[in-house]
Amino acid sequence: MLTWLQANLVNIVIIAIILLVCYFVIRGMIRDRKAGKSSCGGNCSGCSGCGGSCGTV
Amino acid sequence: MAGIRIALAGNPNSGKTTLFNALTGTQQFVGNWPGVTVEKKEGKVRGQKDVNVTDLPGIYSLSPYTLEEVVARNYLIDERPDVILNIVDATNLERNLYLTTQLAELGIPMVIALNMMDLVRKNGDQINTKELSRQLGCPIVEISALKGDGVDEAVKACVSVAGGKMMPQHSFSGAVDHALAHIEEVAVHDLPEERQRWYAIKLFERDEKVLEKLNLSQSVRDHIEKDIQAAEKELDDDAESIITNERYVYIGGLMKGCYKKKNKGQMTASDKIDRVVTNRWLALPIFALVMYLVYALAMGAPIGDGGISLGTFLTDWTNDVFGGWLTDGSRSVMESLGAAEWLTGLVSDGIFAGVGAVLGFVPQMLVLFLLLCILEDCGYMARIAFIMDRIFRRFGLSGKSFIPMLVGTGCGVPGVMASRTIENERDRRMTIMTTCFIPCGAKLPIIGLIAGALFGGATWVATSAYFIGVAAIVISGIMLKKTKMFAGDPAPFVMELPAYHVPSVGNVLRGTWERGWSFIKRAGTVILISSIVLWFLQGYGSVNGKFGNVEELYEDETVATEEYKEAKAEQMGVPVEELSPMDDSVLADIATPVSTIFKPLGFGSWRPTVATVTGLIAKENVVGTFGVLYNYEAETEDDELDEEGSQIWTNVEDDFNKISGGYGKLAAFSFMLFNLLCAPCFAAMGAIKREMNNAKWTWFAIGYMCVFAYAIALIVWQLGRLFAGAPQIVGLIFALAVLAFMLYMVFRPYKEATKLASR
Repeated sequence: MLTWLQANLVNIVIIAIILLVCYFVIRGMIRDRKAGKSSCGGNCSGCSGCGGSCGTV
Repeated sequence: MAGIRIALAGNPNSGKTTLFNALTGTQQFVGNWPGVTVEKKEGKVRGQKDVNVTDLPGIYSLSPYTLEEVVARNYLIDERPDVILNIVDATNLERNLYLTTQLAELGIPMVIALNMMDLVRKNGDQINTKELSRQLGCPIVEISALKGDGVDEAVKACVSVAGGKMMPQHSFSGAVDHALAHIEEVAVHDLPEERQRWYAIKLFERDEKVLEKLNLSQSVRDHIEKDIQAAEKELDDDAESIITNERYVYIGGLMKGCYKKKNKGQMTASDKIDRVVTNRWLALPIFALVMYLVYALAMGAPIGDGGISLGTFLTDWTNDVFGGWLTDGSRSVMESLGAAEWLTGLVSDGIFAGVGAVLGFVPQMLVLFLLLCILEDCGYMARIAFIMDRIFRRFGLSGKSFIPMLVGTGCGVPGVMASRTIENERDRRMTIMTTCFIPCGAKLPIIGLIAGALFGGATWVATSAYFIGVAAIVISGIMLKKTKMFAGDPAPFVMELPAYHVPSVGNVLRGTWERGWSFIKRAGTVILISSIVLWFLQGYGSVNGKFGNVEELYEDETVATEEYKEAKAEQMGVPVEELSPMDDSVLADIATPVSTIFKPLGFGSWRPTVATVTGLIAKENVVGTFGVLYNYEAETEDDELDEEGSQIWTNVEDDFNKISGGYGKLAAFSFMLFNLLCAPCFAAMGAIKREMNNAKWTWFAIGYMCVFAYAIALIVWQLGRLFAGAPQIVGLIFALAVLAFMLYMVFRPYKEATKLASR
């Protein structure tokens, strides 16, 4: 087991980093969605249309 | 004093949001056209924890005719802030005071902030603020919200009067005052003294919402009605007009005593510019030229290559960095660390290639947003709505439909939501359906990629994308207006054109950065996850009945036998040497059957199909998907690669040439058109769903966009092939039939117009 871990340590670390990044990204996206923030590229928080409803101030 | 609530009220485009930003230190979007704020926004005044400020939508009156007026009026009546900070555009004093006279009747302490006083002084005009303050019965502070002058004084004035009472100073003519006194006595006597006046005036105007709110008995209503009718008879006008006229008479008196205009009757600099810019004949060519220059500077041929585009010049460099150096660099680092081959592929060919392909277009986007922000801030964009109204109206549309389109150049979501300001339900639905045709920020990388990879960065590609979007809106509007669902006269469009001014550096840079940053953020979130998923789906699959990494399976001649390859090539309709391991991936297996739909459009292959579908997650994902799917070793010479750009761009060009039988440019243009005009991303679809508030209309809107996009791409591809001397007969017949139907819909007369004329 230890030998396998040693041989694959780099892969494990890189996979762990990727999984961690994915976890934070998905968590952030879910939080934004719950907070009513859109994922669109526009300036939703202060847009002319959604004003207060898109999570302002 | 604890917990002071200031309500910021004023006319549209009088600078409320700019003042709100100056007061709170927040960075709300400031647009130089009326109607930027539809809902109220709240914040705390900088340095004063207990002072809250609410930015209300811009309104011209407290009558409940528009959504903005309803939002503002309800807040002022129901929430009753401690003080109203009435922001008045000093360059349009007379018109702005109309709202002021109504706010003064609410009984809430008020401070007037005379905004744009710097411009008044520059014009040589004079306002006697002391006398105006005396006559209106409230403090007046001279400010320039843009420069931040007088903002602190305005807050101090608000704090000093907050919580008190304010009694209206002006009186109406004898007959009206007599009626109002009666109404106060009969109907609102139980209300606090300072509020009675406003309610009495609204009852006099027969305001349905106030009548409903006060829940008056029928006998009281009848009594009031008698008083109103007596006043109407005496003054020979309807009650609402009487109040309006009397307000203007009062304001006229105020203006005489407090305002001196230096160049009375002379044209201002803005008027002079507008004579040219909004001229009946010159307006459109100027608009076309301006937008051409904007796109040429942002996305045209690069500087040093016969063009003027700074955006493309920088994008060429960032594409090298993200598409080449970082992808190759990450591979070298992963290899030197001894990472597994598949993991190296995931990081460099999946994550870096996918995300990098999108990020490479950031400079083009920033330059475009910067230029659009400058046009917005200086006041030109408001003129475009005015110009377009003149054209739209001929086809039964309203210029109001153009405002969401202007907003939609940043993102389709706020664009769709901006349609809320359109009162006419049919026009509003139609605007929602067509707003997403305009290329939003997320679609720019698609334009940049196709223009760069297939057209050598030709300026006309990007410019045409914008004008095709505008044309799609106009054509759709004309066609839809001729159906029963959308028929009807266009809604009236009244818009105040703001004075031209030098764009504020802060506003422009903030607007540019906010739009650009959202794009960058999405590349690191949605695009990142999508790239990882796509990399797995394109890297793994079943070859000759064996599942695994397709590259490795193809290298194993016992699995990928010659017979298997020949059969696969025949099935895909390509020569064996053009067969790629990816063609056996899970992604290819799923997308290949779907790609048949796009064969009549010229790009019926699995890679563009996957990109089109993943574009529904986010439009820039089209480019991210290309980054993953076209990031394989080129079959071309390295020298050619260096000249043509990145590996991905070269592969895109090759693949489009292959799938279109040598008409790569035409197929790519058709692909670009379809992706620009078809259903928007999920976020925009969600906005459409919310705004339509009806599943049937939502699906109709999305379906219409897809069908329209398909029709346009079909016409372009099939007619393009015809003109190139290689027509596809069946497809061409369908394209001509679609074109004929569209022309019929565009040119057939309005049924309703004929009926109206005959009456």
